Parts: sequence; C-alpha cells; structure tokens
Amino acid sequence: MIETLRTILEGALERLHNHITTYLPAILAALTLMLSAWLIAWIARWLLYRIIKGKAIDRFLRQSGLAFMHGSGRLRATKMVAESVYWGILFTGLLMGINVFNTDLTTQIIQSFVFLLPKLAMAGLILLGGVWLSQYLGRSMLVWAVNEDFPSPRRLAVVVRIMIMFVAVVVAAYQLEFARPVFLTAFILVAGGAVLTVSMAVASGLRTELRRYFDKKGEDAAQSEERSLWSHL
Amino acid sequence: MEGARLPVEADRAVDAIRHADIVIGIPSYNNARTIAHVVQAVYAGLAKYFPQLTAVVINSDCGSTDDTRNAVLSAQVEDNHLMLVSTPLMNAHRLSFPYHGVPGKGSAFRLVFRMATNLHAKACAVVDSDLRSITPEWIDMLLRPILFADYDFVAPYYQRHTYDGTITNSIVYPLTRSLYGVRVRQPIGGEFGMSARLIARYVERDDWETDIARYGIDIWMTTVAIAEGFRVCQSFLGAKLHDTRDPSSDLSAMLQQVVGSVFMLMEEYQPVWQSKIGSEPAELFGFQFDVGLDPIRVNVDRMVQSFRRGCHELGEVWALALQPQTYADVRKLGRCVCAGDATFQMGDDLWTRVVLDYCCAYRKHPLFRGHLLQSLTPLYLGRVASFVRENESFESDEVEQKIERLCISFENLKPYLKAQWNDEARFHAVEREVGDTAQ
Repeated sequence: MIETLRTILEGALERLHNHITTYLPAILAALTLMLSAWLIAWIARWLLYRIIKGKAIDRFLRQSGLAFMHGSGRLRATKMVAESVYWGILFTGLLMGINVFNTDLTTQIIQSFVFLLPKLAMAGLILLGGVWLSQYLGRSMLVWAVNEDFPSPRRLAVVVRIMIMFVAVVVAAYQLEFARPVFLTAFILVAGGAVLTVSMAVASGLRTELRRYFDKKGEDAAQSEERSLWSHL
Repeated sequence: MEGARLPVEADRAVDAIRHADIVIGIPSYNNARTIAHVVQAVYAGLAKYFPQLTAVVINSDCGSTDDTRNAVLSAQVEDNHLMLVSTPLMNAHRLSFPYHGVPGKGSAFRLVFRMATNLHAKACAVVDSDLRSITPEWIDMLLRPILFADYDFVAPYYQRHTYDGTITNSIVYPLTRSLYGVRVRQPIGGEFGMSARLIARYVERDDWETDIARYGIDIWMTTVAIAEGFRVCQSFLGAKLHDTRDPSSDLSAMLQQVVGSVFMLMEEYQPVWQSKIGSEPAELFGFQFDVGLDPIRVNVDRMVQSFRRGCHELGEVWALALQPQTYADVRKLGRCVCAGDATFQMGDDLWTRVVLDYCCAYRKHPLFRGHLLQSLTPLYLGRVASFVRENESFESDEVEQKIERLCISFENLKPYLKAQWNDEARFHAVEREVGDTAQ
C-alpha cells in the first residue's frame, strides 16, 4: 500500500519536474523577451520624444485636419511616432514571447495575426478617415447652421459626426470580416430607421417647423429689401 | 486654368482693335437695371476728358440671364448734350464678353486685365455695374493720376453713409492701414485706376484661382499695389450709391473671401508689413464736397441674435481661433448679450484682438481655414451691431473719428500681432507686456 502511494507520488513529482523543466525555461525566455521588449520600447519612446521635433509633420497634420482627431486639435507628430513605436515594439515582444513555446496553438496565433495585419491596417485607415471626415463635416455643418440661422446647429453637427463614424465602423468591421452580418444588419436598421424617422417627422411636426423656418427666412428677405442700400463691402 | 486664356471672341477683338490707350472694365452679373447708366457715364467721361485718346470699354459678364450684355451694347450714348470742348478722335469701342473660369468679380477683372495688356493700354480703370451715382468725372479722377502724374494705382475715396461698408470700416481698412502703413480709405471700393506696369504685374501673378477670383479681388489689387511699392493715390469721387441688394445674402462667403484674401496676402508680404511702423496718408486728389446721402435702415436685432447664436454654439471653434484672454472677453460679452443686455459694446480693443487672433489662427491652422473664416461672421455682426448702436446719434464726422480710433488701436496692437505671428513663446511675453500697459 505504502509502496503504491510512493510510486504515485514519485510519478506525480516526476511529471511536475518534467513539466517544469519543459516549460519553465520557455516561460522564463518569454518573460525575458517581453521584459526586454518593454524596456526597449520605453527607451525608444523616451528617445523619440526628445529627438523628433516634427514641425513639418505637425504642419501637415494641422493642414490635413488629422490634428483635429484629438478634440483639442493638438495632435503632435512626436507623440504619434513615439507612441506608435512604443506599442509596435511591445507587441512584437509579446509575439516573440508567445513564439518561444513553439506549440501548435502559439504558431496558429502568430500566423493568424500575421494574416490579419494588412486587414487591421486597412481597417485602422478606414477608421482614421472616418474620424477625419466626421470632424470636418460635423464642424462644417455647425458653422453653416449658425450662419444660416438653422435650428439646433450643435445637435445637427453631432448627428453628422455620429452617422459618419457609424458608417466608418461598419466598413472597418466588414473589412476585418468581424461580425459582418451583425454590423450590416445594424447599418441597414439604423439607415432605414433614420429614413423612416425623417419621413414621419416631415409628415407630422417637422413639416410645420420647416414651413415656419422658411417663412421666417422669407420675412427676413422681405425686410432686407427695405434696408437694401446697405452694403457690407 | 480655363480663365488664363482669353475667349476666342475676345482674342478676335484684340486682333481687330490692336491698340487702345485706355481700357475701362465693367464686371457684371444680372445688372441690366443699372449697367446702361454706367456705360453712358463712362462714355461721357472718355469723350469729355480724354478725347485725344483711344479707348475700349469692356463688359466682362458672368453669364447674366437678364440681358445685361444687350443692355451694355445697346446703351444710347449721345455726346451732343455734353458740351464737349474737343471732339473725340474716335468713339470708344464697346465690347461685351462672358468670361470663363471661377465665377466671380476677380475672374471678370482677369479678362479685362489680359485684354488691356494685349491692347498695350497705358491706363485701365474698373467700375462696378450697379452704380447709381457714377458721373463722367469718375473716369477723369480714376485715370488722370495714372496718365498725367505717373501714379500706378488710384483708389476711390467716397462719401458713404456711416453704416455703409462695414467690412471696410471694421476690418479691411484698419488692418491694411496698420499692416502696410498707407492710409487708403476705401481699399475694397470697387472702382480703381491702374497703370500698364501694375496691370502687367497683376496678369503675371499665379493666384487667380483662389478667392481672388471672387470678392477678394479688390483687396488683392490694393495690397499688391501697396506692398510691391507701386505709386498709390486716392481720388475723391463724391457719393457712392449703388443698386439695392440684400445685404445678408452671401455675407458669410463674402466675409470669408475678403478676409481670407487679406490673410493670404499677409503670409506673402510678411517681410513688408513686419518692417512697417505707423501709417501715412495716401495722396488724395479731387475737390471734396459734402453730399446728402439716403438713410440706411439696419436691423440691429437680427445681428445681435446672430452674435448670440455664435456665443451659444461656436464656443469650440472660437476657443481654437482666439487667444485665451480674447476668448474669455468674448464669452463675457456673450453672457451679457444672452442675459438681454441691449447696451452691450464690443470695444475697439477687443475687436482688434479678435481680428488679429484670426490673422494668426489663419497662419497657424488650428482648424480648417474655411471653418475659421466662416466662424468670424457672428463676431463681425456683433461688432457691427455694437458699432451701429454706439453711433446712432452721431454725425458722419464723429463716426469717422471713431473709425480713426479703431485704426489707431490696430496700429498700437501691431506688436501683439507680430509676436503672435512669429513666435508663440515671445508672444506670451508681449501679451503680458500689453496687458500690463493696458492696466
């Protein structure tokens, strides 16, 4: 009885020993790689913040409007480059760490990621474009609505921004082949809902509101005829 | 670059006429009601004051649908009532063409200038087609300094109603004067005289496809003439009365094009304006006299409402366009207006800082230039409303003195502009200095 127990225990300890001797070096190697990657990423970011001035890139970001993706319009080239490099190195370190285990699962993860990378990049670009467009058109709508005396300019601008971002997210998800039917259905529902809402609104109260608005514009125009000798130039 | 070429019929006309001493340009768009009077005045002016010189009158039309071109070509010009001292050598040619390219006054002028260059004209003048107060003397006053006193650019000097020309009075005149150091009172007047040298310079420039093609043309012509050292003077033309129009139509676009052109030229001529201090009057020709002007009714409440809406809705844009102190002052004013304070005042100092901050924001691109310039409209209307209320009971001389004070405010704050324009760090030091001085 004691002999059997001893055999079982010895077997368990041996298996544990085997597991430890098999996986511990790999885990240690993976941790070392990830730690090194984090260290390199941190140093690279620290250096880049000090080296890159990026005035020309900043100007490009402002002129192209990409700087406005950050709400304050203060997106800077240095930050973009440094943070991209930081996360890039960190992520590469993570993949290298996983690769150390050399199992079917890890190989599959890495392969999937490598194949996904171009789609991820494209989806990222689509989202970036969506953010840019939503900022630009949202602000255009805001300023136009204020100058044209149109009701609720800020709400209109928010609606424009949300709609464009929603379309961008749907296209990005489609590109990533991520829950395509869900996003497509959601898009159809939202678009259809929006059309239906506008139709019902026009049919009921909005028609009166619009008539009132255009009547007011007409009155203003008629009033301005009286004082039309005035020129701004 | 469609506008860079002359239309075929214009080319043919140049080939047929070959040479003209004087070219008069009249841009038009649906001005059939008034353009015949303008053509008659121009013809009378040419016959009366320049009978020995050959002339061509060119109507450059933007595709009018009200038969404007026919009104030009069929306008009756009878010089037997003009009591001419000399009989003109030959009648002026009269041409009317539709121009190509970007629709706008600037594109119309481009056609006229190119034809003037090809015809080797010694002098060229342009007049608006909606003028009711033009007389033959205007042609004399616009061309004589060019032809007989070696000036290159003649700007108009009018008597206008105190509320008329508010973009001129509150932005363009004070800013141009403080930047380039020359006091041209009507830099976007609409009627100008130019020498062949200056016309050649205009034609060779490559910025015709910008806002210059539209309302920006007037300030562009004036600024190029001043900044590039051409000889500039003014001629007194009397009263300026034009055809009735809706002042609120296209205000935002008009403001964007005019102010955008001023800012664009500021970038180009930065070395010129940064070295100028103070200002000097431009030579003024002509016998000045007082004129009775039609009263102008202005809807102040509507302007206040627009300013109020801007304060409510455009905070996110103004915060990017204006310096923190200026924005804080605008918000304070906005709170007064929203609280129903009917006597609010946007003073000279605040308005000057608003305009100068917009100049620098245009250069530094904190947001799209189109959005930036359009967001100026409610602020401008707030300033106009404040100006109108403040000057309701004043005579035109007193109002002119107030405009002069605004100009001095622009000149005094030029170091603030330069510091902000050139260097943000230096700007904050100067801003503190200016703040201390103000206190």
